[in-house]
Amino acid sequence: MNRQIRRLTVGVLLCFLVLFGQLNRIQVFQAQELQDNPDNTRQVVANYSRPRGTISTIDGTVVARSVEVDTALRRQREYPEGELFAQISGHFSLHFGASGVERTYDTELAGQTPELELRNLADLFVDRDRSGSLVLSVRADVQAAARDALGDRPGSVVALDPRTGEILALWSWPSFDPNLVSSPDIAQATEARSLYLLDPRNPMLGRTYQERYFPGSSFKVVVSAAGLESGLVTMDQPSYDRQSTWTPPLTSRAITNAGGSVCGGSLAEILRVSCNTAYAEMGALTLGPDVMAEGAEAFGFNSRPPIDLPAPALSVFPTDYGEALSTPGADQPDPAVPGTVFENTPSLAQAAIGQHDVSATPLQMALVAAGVANGGNIMQPHVVHELRDADGGLIERYEPEVWRRAMSPANAAALRQAMIGVVTSGTGTSMAIPGYEVGGKTGTARLAEGTASTHAWMIGFAGPPGETPHVAVAVVVLAEEGAGEQSGGRVAAPVARTVLETALSPAAPPVTPPGSEPEPDPGT
Amino acid sequence: MTELRSLRRRVELGLIVLIAIITASAYALAGLGASASLPADLLPFLGIVLGLLLVAHLAVRRFAPNADGLILPLAALLNGLGYVFIARLDNDLAAPQATWTAIGIGAFVATLVLVRRPRDLQRYRYTFLLAGLVLLILPFTPIGFANLGAQIWVRLGPLTFQPGELAKLAMLLFFAGYLVENRELLSVSTFRIGPLMLPDPKRLGPLILALGAALFIFVQQNDLGPSLMIFTVFLVMIWVATERLSYLVLGSGLFVVGAYLAYTQFAHVAPRFEVWLDPWRPEVIRGEAYQIVQSTYALAQGGLTGTGLGLGNPERVPVVTTDFIFTAIGEELGLVGATAVLITFLLLVGSALRLAVVAEHPYDKLLAVGIATLIATQVFIIVGGITRVLPLTGIALPFVSYGGSSLIVNYVLLGLLLRLSHDVTTRQLRKVEAEAAAVPA
Repeated sequence: MNRQIRRLTVGVLLCFLVLFGQLNRIQVFQAQELQDNPDNTRQVVANYSRPRGTISTIDGTVVARSVEVDTALRRQREYPEGELFAQISGHFSLHFGASGVERTYDTELAGQTPELELRNLADLFVDRDRSGSLVLSVRADVQAAARDALGDRPGSVVALDPRTGEILALWSWPSFDPNLVSSPDIAQATEARSLYLLDPRNPMLGRTYQERYFPGSSFKVVVSAAGLESGLVTMDQPSYDRQSTWTPPLTSRAITNAGGSVCGGSLAEILRVSCNTAYAEMGALTLGPDVMAEGAEAFGFNSRPPIDLPAPALSVFPTDYGEALSTPGADQPDPAVPGTVFENTPSLAQAAIGQHDVSATPLQMALVAAGVANGGNIMQPHVVHELRDADGGLIERYEPEVWRRAMSPANAAALRQAMIGVVTSGTGTSMAIPGYEVGGKTGTARLAEGTASTHAWMIGFAGPPGETPHVAVAVVVLAEEGAGEQSGGRVAAPVARTVLETALSPAAPPVTPPGSEPEPDPGT
Repeated sequence: MTELRSLRRRVELGLIVLIAIITASAYALAGLGASASLPADLLPFLGIVLGLLLVAHLAVRRFAPNADGLILPLAALLNGLGYVFIARLDNDLAAPQATWTAIGIGAFVATLVLVRRPRDLQRYRYTFLLAGLVLLILPFTPIGFANLGAQIWVRLGPLTFQPGELAKLAMLLFFAGYLVENRELLSVSTFRIGPLMLPDPKRLGPLILALGAALFIFVQQNDLGPSLMIFTVFLVMIWVATERLSYLVLGSGLFVVGAYLAYTQFAHVAPRFEVWLDPWRPEVIRGEAYQIVQSTYALAQGGLTGTGLGLGNPERVPVVTTDFIFTAIGEELGLVGATAVLITFLLLVGSALRLAVVAEHPYDKLLAVGIATLIATQVFIIVGGITRVLPLTGIALPFVSYGGSSLIVNYVLLGLLLRLSHDVTTRQLRKVEAEAAAVPA
């Protein structure tokens, strides 16, 4: 019998070895693959249940916080202001992932950055909340002013500090309620999300930085800068013919001025009255495709702005205008010589007034205004001001960095003066704020040839006289069915003024940075 | 003789104290992990664990002083770890499991007191057969009921229990007695089929009966586990008793054929196999395969070193306190902890098998083999089911899973093991002493 018992022992050992081998397979070799299986919601639920830091504005308004709930998930995300900050904070959903700051700063909020983890290495055995809290550069009062000024017209408002790139307001209407989308109740969350997705105006999209529109005449600031930087245009030369229409070469389609008015002259004058004929000629013939593209790209067109929000859209300036066909005063076409006509010069003329295939996000147009305001330097835009630990200790503060050097300081100063002229005596007079230096540029972008509907744009800046402006702004009020023509100066400029005014007023003193687990709100 | 005895008991006492500390530490860690505070009842807990183990230890000292000092601490470690996990997973089960543990220790002591010589049990073999069969059929009588799809429960007044757990003990004792009586006859082959030498068909009756009973229960209970377990124990015991491999080969072959027939003939058996073969199909991943898939995710989450006690999410796996408790261990203690549990079982089974080798009387040998096989098979079936080595079938992990019937029966088995160990050692020591006395000075 002992022989059998010994064999049995070997058999038992082999069986256990099989178990050990299979455990190794599951727990070590396949572990990553199993954790990445889309059916496996463990990681998602673990992330959802973990303490998560608070997001608040720089003036102390709570944007998002975690509240403890008596369910298996332990915690739930709450957005006390509802729609107001939705496109900045985004949502944090068990079922649909995260968007906005909740997404870009996920590891910080969850306390999983090396800094946050190292900070707490000492108290491994103490129950400590390791989550990080975010303080946004956004000001709740400016954000609310943007919302109130825009009202129920679809559109977007971006306000930022040109000196630092800090976003002060980022609003677009319609917005969405992140509380609904972040509901742990899958039925409620799915229904809310489906309704938002059905809305053609796309409320859940961060349209301030993720959607592009024709910039219209507001793009003339970029064309002016391109001209000044190239040296082909100065404040005095050339002076464009005073006329009401101008027809580019190779086409019979004339470019007209708003209301059929007659205009022309040098840079400051044509910017002040937003002279289409002059800018079309400047772009198409004085500057040409290369200078135009270079100028647009100097402001950040054709690249994604490095904002700390997910998936920013890039603004587009087309660069291909075909072969050079003829150069005036030369036998052979020379693309390097100004005045050369290209296959697509008519399109270039359209592009120079912000039509054709030019499209820009509201954020990009705000950065254009900010660049001019800040001596030609466009600062990296960002919505997060600083990161704090759960006890309020400062971990990291955002340091301003230059993103693009769009213009020389001298040219920027000149263009800035020209933009101030637009507000003092041009198309943007309704943006003027007594006691401050305000500059701007209107835009009225036609959606299609022959339609009346237009997007109304206003970009600009404001600050105490003699100082670098404190605020830059971009407002777009979108064309609505049957709304007819809405001009930037009449429709968008008042919104921009309200936002600038609010932003110029001193901010409420920053409150002590909040912890991630706030006191229960007695009102709810 | 007294030297070895006192050494073994001192080892046992030392290990018991160590295991009480390990259990209490795990309990404290689970409390820290789950609620970030030390359990308020930590010291009373340590006291109770130590107290229960000391009662068992003193009983061994009194009634089986020569027994192997490793067996009780190994079981205590499994029981303690199991309790910590049960208390951490479902606080409502902590008190009943503690009560069951106390009763289990009582059963252990009672076994040591009542069974003075294991061979005495041989006399009652047919009583055990009858008891075993009755217990197996009990769930299909009016007092039986099904829970979670398995028809394995019986209700008597306020008490519910799984008679199958007791049945396996009864059947084990019957097999040992029956096989010792008939091993000579069963090992004589009278005819052959191909290369297989078979005994008199008349002698094969019990084998056929056991096979039939196993398959009947398998189909009726919709549960492969208990029948596979009893049948494996029977096959191993008859193989060891007769020293004829043909029983093992033929028996396993017949079982495979029977299982295959059940698979093709009975509608409710097939899905279990299909889930086993591929649980990732979209049509079952949230249905029949949910449990095994969630369990696999839990093990993957645990990885090499685990999430830490109280820090995982084992509650996401259904019935984690009973059939799937090994998953919770694998998740929170990782591959390291899961392997430690497997090694503990291996040491326990190994102790029993060593005893079987050392024992002289065939009944003692068979009983030890049976107990070892019973524990090993249960571990292999449930851990194999969890890790998809076998089709999943609900069965308790001995000493670890929640459940009174299983715990009590396992403690009775443990008592028998220690009783055997004591007897075998005592006899050997006497022999050595007699030999020493015979040698002229």
